[in-house]
Amino acid sequence: MLLVRLRWQLLLNSLRRPTRRAELGLQAIWVLMGAGFVLLGSVGFFFGGFGLLKIDRADLLDLPLWAIFLVWQLAPVLFEGYSPGLNFREVSRYPIPFRVLFILSAAYGLSDPAAIACVCWLFSFWLGIIIARPEFAFAATPALLLFTVFNLFLNRLVIGLFDRFQSTRKGRERMVLLAFVAIILLNLLNIVQLNISHQARTHGFKFPEWVGQAVTTIREFSPPGMAAHTFLQNGLSALWAFSGLLLYGFLAYMLLQRQLKVLYLGEIYAETHTVHRELKVRQGWRFPFLDEVTAAIVEKELRYIRQSFRIVLQLIYPPVIFLLLAFNGTGWKSFFAGRSQVMLAGLAGFMLMSVPNLSYNVFGMDKEGFGRWLLSPPPLRKVLMGKNLTHASLLVVLYLVVAAVLLAITPVGVLPTLTVTVAFFAVLIIQLSAGNVVSVHWPKRIELTRMNSRMASNAAGLASLVVMLPLTALIGTVILVSWHWQLRWLPLVCGVIAFAASLKLYSYVLDWAARYTWEHIEEITGNLGA
Amino acid sequence: MSEPVLQTVALRRTFGPLVAVDSLDLRVEKQQFYGFLGPNGAGKSTTIKMLTGLLRPTSGEVHILGRNLATQSVEIKRRIGVVPEGLSLFERLTGVQLLNFVGRMYGLSRATAAERSAELLEFMDLKDSADKLVADYSHGMRKKTALAAAVIHGPEILFLDEPFEGVDAIAATTLKRLLQRFIAHGGTVFLTSHVLEVVERLCTHIGIIQQGRLVASGSLEELRSGVKVAGHDHSPLTLEEIFLQIVGGARQDAEVLSWL
Repeated sequence: MLLVRLRWQLLLNSLRRPTRRAELGLQAIWVLMGAGFVLLGSVGFFFGGFGLLKIDRADLLDLPLWAIFLVWQLAPVLFEGYSPGLNFREVSRYPIPFRVLFILSAAYGLSDPAAIACVCWLFSFWLGIIIARPEFAFAATPALLLFTVFNLFLNRLVIGLFDRFQSTRKGRERMVLLAFVAIILLNLLNIVQLNISHQARTHGFKFPEWVGQAVTTIREFSPPGMAAHTFLQNGLSALWAFSGLLLYGFLAYMLLQRQLKVLYLGEIYAETHTVHRELKVRQGWRFPFLDEVTAAIVEKELRYIRQSFRIVLQLIYPPVIFLLLAFNGTGWKSFFAGRSQVMLAGLAGFMLMSVPNLSYNVFGMDKEGFGRWLLSPPPLRKVLMGKNLTHASLLVVLYLVVAAVLLAITPVGVLPTLTVTVAFFAVLIIQLSAGNVVSVHWPKRIELTRMNSRMASNAAGLASLVVMLPLTALIGTVILVSWHWQLRWLPLVCGVIAFAASLKLYSYVLDWAARYTWEHIEEITGNLGA
Repeated sequence: MSEPVLQTVALRRTFGPLVAVDSLDLRVEKQQFYGFLGPNGAGKSTTIKMLTGLLRPTSGEVHILGRNLATQSVEIKRRIGVVPEGLSLFERLTGVQLLNFVGRMYGLSRATAAERSAELLEFMDLKDSADKLVADYSHGMRKKTALAAAVIHGPEILFLDEPFEGVDAIAATTLKRLLQRFIAHGGTVFLTSHVLEVVERLCTHIGIIQQGRLVASGSLEELRSGVKVAGHDHSPLTLEEIFLQIVGGARQDAEVLSWL
């Protein structure tokens, strides 16, 4: 109760700041949108459970549970942790028994939107099952409850592990590698599936028998499978499935307990190694065309970005997907036939989607370091420009690499290539301008070592929509007009005009943002905890 | 009287109805080691933030090295070094990366920044931890890093906000060595501190602020001659006695914490 009161008091205190009040208002919009999504999902899971039993396909009932399992475990890791920030390391400093810390930590896991959504979906699924087959209620209720508890424990365990990995350089590197391998594997699976479908259509392809057996075994012995079998099977088989699920839950419980115990006892994961060797200081990085100060800012930003697992992932994701698609087994020629321009434009759009997380909270990762920008002689305009330049360079390099690969493997006309590239630059600069406004107006402290630390404010998310929707509509209109009146040059002309206008806008916003920062130093430092 | 390197004229800062600093007229001359004292909440940190450009004054002027901070802040920032209250360190850089970065931000070349970073890490006894993230540094190591970052560009004045707070004796000695060396080479130090013994030992001049106003200023001797303590013998007054006399003494133990 004391902690709930503490959270409530912290919320009330934070509302003294006008930006926080606005942020909370905007959060309400996200919550409403999220609630709509959860509701739709719930309807889907209800009819999924109900329908599968009605059409006599009970053997597929583990698939919705697989979906819930994957969303619950992966969404908070792959996207953003949205649960309110409570540091259990600090909580453990209070005179509370370990038992209480464990219960608090587990219960706190339920505050993550992914967990809330999954609990709602599980409830709807359960409702669908017991309405369709009331006799399943006796076994389905404990089975799904146990499945919920298992997911909760496992999710806390996974988040704790990622938090631990984030704390050290080696851990972060392993995480990035792991994520990279996961992306490639998932997409390879997708490609394999595409190839199999392709072969099935042309040569009547069939899976080897062992593949089917392996899939069946995994489904049967996995937690979702065990949960489904508990109420689908009878007698000993059901008991065996329930025991298996219980064992999964117990294992997750034991591991989580072990993990929390370490935290409770005060273990801190950090780069604790001390290297006794002769000090050899390397010079800072040098970049072509950049002066010393801008190069220093870019170096600092790149070093920070390298430490953010999510940003690295978001940056490498589009090109990896693209390259896998480009070189998939069905043959790139057939895949890109007649679609190369659309692919290039789609790729550019896909990459631009990374901008909000990179550039809509440019001081977020600096935290206490924000004051260093104010103490240093370079004007804030230059600092903002250096940060924007870093983000833009990363996206531009990735875009150019992938565009070069695309151009090498499939013919794209000079005009479309130029048009897409100019439009990419124009939208990127507009996004960076908007990002600067949001960054100084709604700065948000980012904790790089914590998985539940968001990369930007709620306002940033909405602002990116407000920027991208009209831009997309505008681009669509230009394309339609050019297509309707056969004005092939029109998009390029519009792109060049938009590019020139975006530069003007960027320069204006840069001045405004620097001025605004100086006028609101206390507010910004307060929000960043600096 | 020589030209002041730091001068404020009727400096004032308000936060809503609260007047944090009021009519502050400071004057610090070259090579002075100026200790700025005051009880908690007296306005020390607000003052130092205004002097270093981290906070805009509500009214009044700040002149540093003959220049007006409001109009020539870039030039001033190049010539001063600051250890602010929260240290303002980029914690996700290693010690050596941070010093390199700060040096270059002050316009040093890559080679000079690297050379000075190495010397500073050696002097501050941080070379074994140079490759560790600042986030993993102890409090004392962070203070030393912040001081190294403040001096890497060779400033003429150093502003230090509570540099000895939470620092062990070994780290404090290193900091003091560096400051004394800085003064000996023509620098000027303006520091706030609660550790009166350190201020008494290091500072040549002292200013005392209370409720936002400067209530005493001068050398230790000047302060001693201006303060009379009832019942005191003829031994020289300590800075603590002077301070308590000026800002008001502590309450008697019997009056408070009856449960302790």
